[in-house]
Amino acid sequence: MKSLAGFIVSALVLSAIAFMLGSYQTDVYRKMLLWVTLALSYNFLFGIAGQVAFSHFTFYGIGAYAIVILIFQVGLPLPLAILVGIAICVLLALVVAIPATRLAGFYLALATLAFAQLFIVVLDEGGSVTGSAGGLANYRLPDFFGTKVSGPSYTVVIVMLMLATLAILWRLDRSWFGRACRAVRDDPEAAQAMGINVARTKIVAYTVTSALAGVAGMAYAFVDNTVNPPIFGLENSFMLLFMVIVGGSGRHAGAIVGAALLYVMPLVLSPIIGHHHALVFGVFMVAVVLFQPKGLIGIWDWFKLQLERRSQV
Amino acid sequence: MPVFGCREAKRTHGTGFRQESSHACISAKLKGAVLAMNDFLELIVGATASGCVYALVALSYLLITRPTGIINFAVGEWGMLGAFGGYLALSRAGLPYAVSMVLVLAGMFAIGWATERLTVRPLVERGAPPLAPILALLGMLVVFREVISVTIGPDPQPVPPAFGFGRLELGLLAGSYQSFFIITVTAVVFAAVWYFFERTLAGKSFEAVAIDRRAAALMGINLRRVTAMAFAASASVAGLAGLLVAPNASAHYLMGIPLAIQGFTALVIGGVGRVEGALLGGMILAFVEQFTVRYAPIPPGLAQGVPLVLLILFLLIRPTGLLRARETR
Repeated sequence: MKSLAGFIVSALVLSAIAFMLGSYQTDVYRKMLLWVTLALSYNFLFGIAGQVAFSHFTFYGIGAYAIVILIFQVGLPLPLAILVGIAICVLLALVVAIPATRLAGFYLALATLAFAQLFIVVLDEGGSVTGSAGGLANYRLPDFFGTKVSGPSYTVVIVMLMLATLAILWRLDRSWFGRACRAVRDDPEAAQAMGINVARTKIVAYTVTSALAGVAGMAYAFVDNTVNPPIFGLENSFMLLFMVIVGGSGRHAGAIVGAALLYVMPLVLSPIIGHHHALVFGVFMVAVVLFQPKGLIGIWDWFKLQLERRSQV
Repeated sequence: MPVFGCREAKRTHGTGFRQESSHACISAKLKGAVLAMNDFLELIVGATASGCVYALVALSYLLITRPTGIINFAVGEWGMLGAFGGYLALSRAGLPYAVSMVLVLAGMFAIGWATERLTVRPLVERGAPPLAPILALLGMLVVFREVISVTIGPDPQPVPPAFGFGRLELGLLAGSYQSFFIITVTAVVFAAVWYFFERTLAGKSFEAVAIDRRAAALMGINLRRVTAMAFAASASVAGLAGLLVAPNASAHYLMGIPLAIQGFTALVIGGVGRVEGALLGGMILAFVEQFTVRYAPIPPGLAQGVPLVLLILFLLIRPTGLLRARETR
C-alpha cells in the first residue's frame, strides 16, 4: 500500500514537472526519463541477473525502428504497431538469448557486442526500409484513439512508461523469479542444485528486460522524431553499464541516480569546461570502481547506517 | 571479367578473322587471369599484414587474460596511444624510426605497468569481484582516449611508415613496404613470445600462473610481478600494433574501439589458450574480411558484418577457439 502511494505521488510530481518546462528543458527531461527507464531494466539484467550484455541499447534501437517502420511503411495503426513491435523485440531477444545465455561471463558480452554492431550494419544497409545511414525522419506521432498526444502530455506518457517499468521490475525483483535471478548470478551451480532452471531463468530475464528496452525505444522514436544509426551506437551500451555501476548495481534507486547523474553531467559540465567533461567522466568512472564499489547508493546506505547508530546511542 | 574482355575482342575483329579472334580471345582471357592473379596475390599480402595487426592486438589481450583472467578492452586504446606516440616521435620530433619504435615500446611498457599498479592491483588486493578490474579498465579506456583528444586534439594525425610509401615486389608477391614491414615485425614478436613461454623460466612461471594461480603462488612465483609484467608487455604489444597500423589511416583518438573489437574477434577465433591462436585468429579474420569485401557478391557495407557473424558463430559453436589451451600435465 505504501509503495502504491509512493508510485502515485511520484507519478503526480514527475508529471507536474512536465508542465513547467520550456522546450529545451522538456527535451532534456524526456531523454533523462528514458535513460532512467533503460538503466532500470539494464540494472535488472546486469545487476540482478548478472548478465554482462551489450545489446540492451540495441533493443532500444530495435523498438524505435520497429514502431516507425510498422506505422509509416507497413501502415499499421498505433496500438497494433506497439503490440507487433513488442512481439518483434521478444522474438529477437529469444533468438539472441537462447544460444547466447549459454555463454559464460565475458563471452556473452562479446556475442551481444557483435549483435549490437550487426544491428548497425543492417541499419546502414537497410535501403529504404531503414533509411540507410540517414535514418528515418519527418514523421509525427499518429493520434492515439482519436486524441492527439504532444508536448507535456507526451512527457507524461514517458513518465508513466518509466514508472510502469519500475513497477514491473520491482515486482519481478521481489518475486520468486527475482530471487532465482540473484541465485543464478551468484552461483549457477548451487542454483541448479536448488532446483532452479538456470537456462530458462537467464533467457526469461534477458527477454523481459530487452522487451522493456524496446518499449522505451518506441517512446524515444517520437521524442526526436528521427531515428538513425549513430544514435544507437556502441558508446551508449557502455554508457548504460557505467550508469548502473556508478549508481550501484543491483539496486533500482542506484540505476535511477546513476542514469540521471551521468546524463545530466555532460550537459552541466560542457559549458564550463568544454570537451574536458569526457575526461572527467572517465576519471569519475575509475574512481567509483576503485573507491566506491557499491556505487553512489552505497554512500547513501552508509549515511543511513550512521544516522541509525547515532539515534541508538 | 575475362569473359567480358573476350567479347570485346570478337567485336573489334569482326567475323572475317575467326581464327585470330579466338586467338585474341585466349590472350585476353590469359591477361585477365594474370591480372586477377596479381590482384589476388596483392590481396594476400595486404590481408596478411592486417591479419598481423589483429594478431598483435589479440596477443595483447592474451598476455593479460592468460595469467589473470582479466579481459582488458583498453588494449585498443593502448594501440591508439602507440600510434600517437609514433606521431609525436616521428612527425613532431623527427626522430629516426628505430629510435621512435624503441621509445614507443618503452613508453607503452611504462603505461601498462602504471595501469596495473593504479587500477588493477588495489582491486585484486582488496579481493574485489572479478568484474571490478574489467570495469576499472573500461573507465581507463575513456581516460586514455579523452587525454589524447584533449591534449593532441580530435583531428587525425599523420604517422609515417617505416620505409616510406614504396611498393615491393618479391617474385609474385607484391605489396607496400609497410605491409612487409608489419609482417616481419609480427613474425619477430611472435617468435620472441613463443621463445619466452616455451624456453625461459620466466615464461614458464607465466604459464604456471595461467594454469593454477594458487599452486603457482605456493611454488614461490611472485603473482604481483607476473601480473605487472603481463600488463606492461601487453601494452607494449598493443602500442606496437597501433604504431604499425597508423600509416594506413593516420592516428585518431577514436581508433581504439575498432582495434579492440577486431583484436578480440581474432582472439575468440584463435582461442584464448595459446599464443599461436592469436596469430591464427588474426589471419583468419583478416582473410575473411578482405576476401568478402573483394570477391563476395554482397554490398561492401554488409561485408563488414561478415566478421561479426563469424565471431558469433565461433562463440556459439566453439567458444574455446580453434586452438585449445594445453592441458595441465
